[in-house]
Amino acid sequence: MRKLMALLLSAVMLLSLGTALAGETTVVGTPRNETLIVEMQNPTQTAGQFNPMMQGTNMGTGIQQLLWGNLYEIDTVKGEQFPSLAEAFPESNADFTEHIIKIRKGIKWSDGVDFSAKDVHYTMNLMLTNPDARSHSYYQQIFKSIELEDDYTLKLTTKMSFPLLAESIGVLIWGNDLRVVPEHIYSKLDNPLTFKDSNPVVTGPYTVKQYDELGNWIYYELREDAQFSDIGVVTGTIPKAKHILFQTFGDDATRTMTMLNNLVDIMVEVSPENWEVMKTNPKAAMWYPEYPYALFDDPCSKGIAFNCAKAPFSDPNFRWGLALAMDFKEVSMNIFNGAGRASVLQIPATASMQELYYKPMEEWLENFELEDGYKPFNTNYAREMAEILAKQGIEMPDDDALLDDMFGIGCWKHDPEQATKLLQKAGLELKDGKWFYEGQPFSFTCNILADTEAQAGRGGEAAVDQWRKFGLDVTPVKMTHTNFTNAESLGEFDVGAYWPSCAIIRNLYRQINGWDGDLIKPIGELSTGGNGERLNCPELTAKIHELSGVSSQDERSYELSTEILKIFVKELPFIGFHSGTKFVPTNNTYWTNYPTSENPYNGPWWWWSAFKYILPHIEPVQ
Amino acid sequence: MKAWKYIGLRLITWALVIWIGVTFVFIIPRLFPSNPVENMISRITAMSGTMDAIQVEALRRQLRVQFGLDGSLWEQYTTYIKNGLFGFNFGPSLMNYPTPVGEIIGRYLPYTLFLSVTSVIIAWTIGNFIGLLAGFRKNKRSSKILEGIAITIYPIPYFILALVLQIVFGFLLGWFPMTANILTTAKDRGVFFASLLRNSVLPALSLLLVGTGWWIISMKSLSSSIAEEDFVQYARYRGLSERRIGASYVLRNSIISQVTALALSLGGVFNGSLITEIVFNYPGVGKLIQQAILSSDYNMILGTITISIIAIATATLVADLIYPFIDPRIRYS
Repeated sequence: MRKLMALLLSAVMLLSLGTALAGETTVVGTPRNETLIVEMQNPTQTAGQFNPMMQGTNMGTGIQQLLWGNLYEIDTVKGEQFPSLAEAFPESNADFTEHIIKIRKGIKWSDGVDFSAKDVHYTMNLMLTNPDARSHSYYQQIFKSIELEDDYTLKLTTKMSFPLLAESIGVLIWGNDLRVVPEHIYSKLDNPLTFKDSNPVVTGPYTVKQYDELGNWIYYELREDAQFSDIGVVTGTIPKAKHILFQTFGDDATRTMTMLNNLVDIMVEVSPENWEVMKTNPKAAMWYPEYPYALFDDPCSKGIAFNCAKAPFSDPNFRWGLALAMDFKEVSMNIFNGAGRASVLQIPATASMQELYYKPMEEWLENFELEDGYKPFNTNYAREMAEILAKQGIEMPDDDALLDDMFGIGCWKHDPEQATKLLQKAGLELKDGKWFYEGQPFSFTCNILADTEAQAGRGGEAAVDQWRKFGLDVTPVKMTHTNFTNAESLGEFDVGAYWPSCAIIRNLYRQINGWDGDLIKPIGELSTGGNGERLNCPELTAKIHELSGVSSQDERSYELSTEILKIFVKELPFIGFHSGTKFVPTNNTYWTNYPTSENPYNGPWWWWSAFKYILPHIEPVQ
Repeated sequence: MKAWKYIGLRLITWALVIWIGVTFVFIIPRLFPSNPVENMISRITAMSGTMDAIQVEALRRQLRVQFGLDGSLWEQYTTYIKNGLFGFNFGPSLMNYPTPVGEIIGRYLPYTLFLSVTSVIIAWTIGNFIGLLAGFRKNKRSSKILEGIAITIYPIPYFILALVLQIVFGFLLGWFPMTANILTTAKDRGVFFASLLRNSVLPALSLLLVGTGWWIISMKSLSSSIAEEDFVQYARYRGLSERRIGASYVLRNSIISQVTALALSLGGVFNGSLITEIVFNYPGVGKLIQQAILSSDYNMILGTITISIIAIATATLVADLIYPFIDPRIRYS
C-alpha cells in the first residue's frame, strides 16, 4: 500500500512539475512571453498546405495574415485602400481599358530574392491562363492581357472599361484572391496549383516553422530579415513578436477557460455571455473598457431581408409595414443587450460609413416620407436606448454626439398603427385580430441561421417575437449555414435574417452590384452574386450600371452611391438592425497595445489579411 | 458442408448490408436542401463580402466542373461504386479541393483508433471483470460497492463527465491540456508519443469511465442470472472451486453477448467520438463527418461513412464467425 501511495505521489509531482514547466512555454516549446498566441477560427483539414493558389488552402489560419501579400490592403478605420505590394494605385487611360501598376521596390522574398513585377506578372497570368485556378473564369472575363513592362511595372489591358481595378485585385474585406507567389519557385513546378508548399517562401514578415498535421495549430517565426518583408518596407517597422502560434481551442467553454488561464492572447469572437465570464480575468480586454465592450465596425449589418419576388413581400408597403411593426429598442435589447449601432441604410453604420454616409444623410432621413407623407425616422433613438440602459444601472454618456456614435444617428419608429395601414395598403386584411391575404389566413416563415453568427440569429428571433406581438402569424425556421444560404440563393424563403448589406469603402459598387435587376433569376434557380432577395427596381439597376463605369476617385461615384442608398430606403428590401457587432477579446498578460476604442489605429480583425499591419503595434509586456 | 453454407450466407448478408448502406449514403446527401458548390461560394463570399456578380457566376461554373457534379446521378453513383467502394478512392474533398478524401481520413483515423480502440478494450476488460464479480458474488460487500460506483457513473451525461474532467484536471489543476495539441510533426518520436499520451489522457478517461459503467451493468445482469442456473448449482455440488465456477461456467456463458457487443463497439469506433472530439478538441473522424455533413461535402461523407459501414458489417461478420469457437453449443448451422 505504501509503495502504491509513493508511486501515486511521484506521478502527481511529475505531472505538477510538467505543468509548471509548461506554464513558461507554449505547446511548441517557445517561451510564452515571446510568443503571441492567436486563436485560429477552425482547425484546418489541409494542414501543411500553404500555397495560396491551391484550392482548399485555409487562408484564415495565419496564412494570409502573416505569409502572403496583396497589391492593395485596406485601412479598416478610414475605409480606404492603400498600396501594399504595389507602389501606387493603378494609372488608367481615359476609358479605363489600359492600366499601369507600379510595384514597390525593396521588398525581398524570405529566401533573399528580390520581389518584383515578375512575381505579380507570373501570378496573375497563372490565374488568367490556368483553367484550374480559382479565379480563372473571372480573370478570363476581365483581362485581355497582363504584360511586364519592366522589373517594377505591369501593364494590364482589360476587355472592358474597368475603373475599379484596385478594388477588384486588392483587399476590401478580409482578403483578396490575388496573393502574389514567388515566380522563381512556382514557375519551375509541373503544376503550381497542386503544390502544397509546406515550407513557403513569402513576402510577409513570418515564415512557417512547424505545423500540426491534424490542423489544430501552426507555429510561425519572425523572419530574420523582416525589415525586407512587405510590412518592413511599407511601414518601416517590424513586429515585436518573435513567435506567433495560431491555435484552436475547441468549444465555447474551453475557449473561456483558456482566456481565464492566460493561454491565449487574441481571440476571434465570443458571445457577450462568454465575455461576462472572461472579463473576470483583469487582463482580458475588449474594444471598449466598459459597456458596450463590443466593436460595431464589422462591415456587414445584420437584419431582415425580404424575398421581393413573392407576394406580398414584393410590395414595399408590406416591407415598410413590417419595419414599423417592430420596436427596434426591444430588438436591440434582445440581441446583445442594446449593444449595437443602428444601421437603417443598406450599408452598415461602421465608424467610417457613419462619417461618409450616415451623418451626411441624417437630414434626408429625417425628412424622408412614405407615400402617404408619414415620416418613419426616429432621431431620438440613441437617447431612448441610453435611458433604457441607464435604468439597468449602466453608465451612459450625456453627450448626444457620443450617444450617436454608440447607438447610431437614429432608427425606424415603432408605430403599429401606421404598420397596420401599410399592410392593408399591401392587400392584407385584419379580421378579428388576425391577418388575411387574398382571402386566406396569412402566415409566413422567417429563416434564421442556427449554428453561427449569433447577432443575425438573435436578430431574427427578436423580429419574429415583435411581429407575433403585432398579431402576425410567423414561424421561425432555424437552419444550418449551408441550407440557410442555399435557401436565399434559390429564393426559397419569405423573410430571413440575412445580411446582403456589406460596405467598407466610399464607392459602394463592389458590394451593391449584385442588386442589378438584369441579373435576377427565377425562384428555384441560383441567384447571381448577391440579389437572393430578387429586388427588381429599374431605377436602382440604372444607377448601378452608371456606377460600374465610374472610378472610385471620381466624385460622381459618391453621388451615385448616395442616390443608390436613398432608393434602398424607399424600397426597403432589407431592414438593417445594427452594423456588425463583434466581441473580440484580447489578453494583456504577455502582450499589450492592441487596437481599442482608446487607441483605434486599426480594427481588431485578426482574421483579415490586414492583421500583418497591426502586428508592429503589439508590444510585449515588460 | 454446413459450415461453408453458413459462411457463404453470412458473406452474402455482409455484402448486401454494405451495398444497401453505401447506396443510402450516396442518395441521402443529395437530398439535402444545399449543395457543395453553393456552400463553397457562400464560404468565400461570407469571408470576403466583395465578390461581384460576374465573379460568382464564373466561380459557380468552374466549381461544378471541378467537383465532378456535372454528370448524371447514375454516372456519379457508378463512379462511386467502382472507385470508392472497390478502390477506396473517394475523390477529392469538396471543401478542401483538391486534397483527396483518403488522405484526410488517413491523417485523422489513427488518432481516432488509438483513442477509441484503447478505451473500448480497456473498458470492456475492466467492466466485464467487475461485472462478473458483482454478478457472480453479488452478496459480497466489495461487489456491491463496485456495482454502486458503476450505477453512479453510468447515468451521468457524457458531456457533463467530460466537462468535469476538463475543468478539474485541465483548468483548475492544470495537469493535462484542456484541448488537444499533439506535436504531430515533432522530429523526435519520443516527444511525439509523450505529447500524444499527455493529450489523450482526459479524452480517454472520459470514454473509459462511461464505457466501463455500461459493461459492468450489462455483465452483472448476465452473470447474476447465469449464476442461478442449474448447471452452476450442480458444479457447486460437485465441489468445484468458486474461481473455477466463475471462470469456466459463469464467465464463458455470459461472455458471448458481450463479445458481440464488443465487436459492434469496435466497428463503431470508425465513427469517431464526436462529443469527445468537440469537448477536448481532439482530432478525429467524428468531427470530419460532422463538418462534411454541415458543408455538404459529398465525397467526404461517402468516404467516412463507407468506411464505418464496412467496419461495422465486418465486425458483425467476424463475431458471427467466431461464435462457434467461443460457445461449443453453437454450430455452423
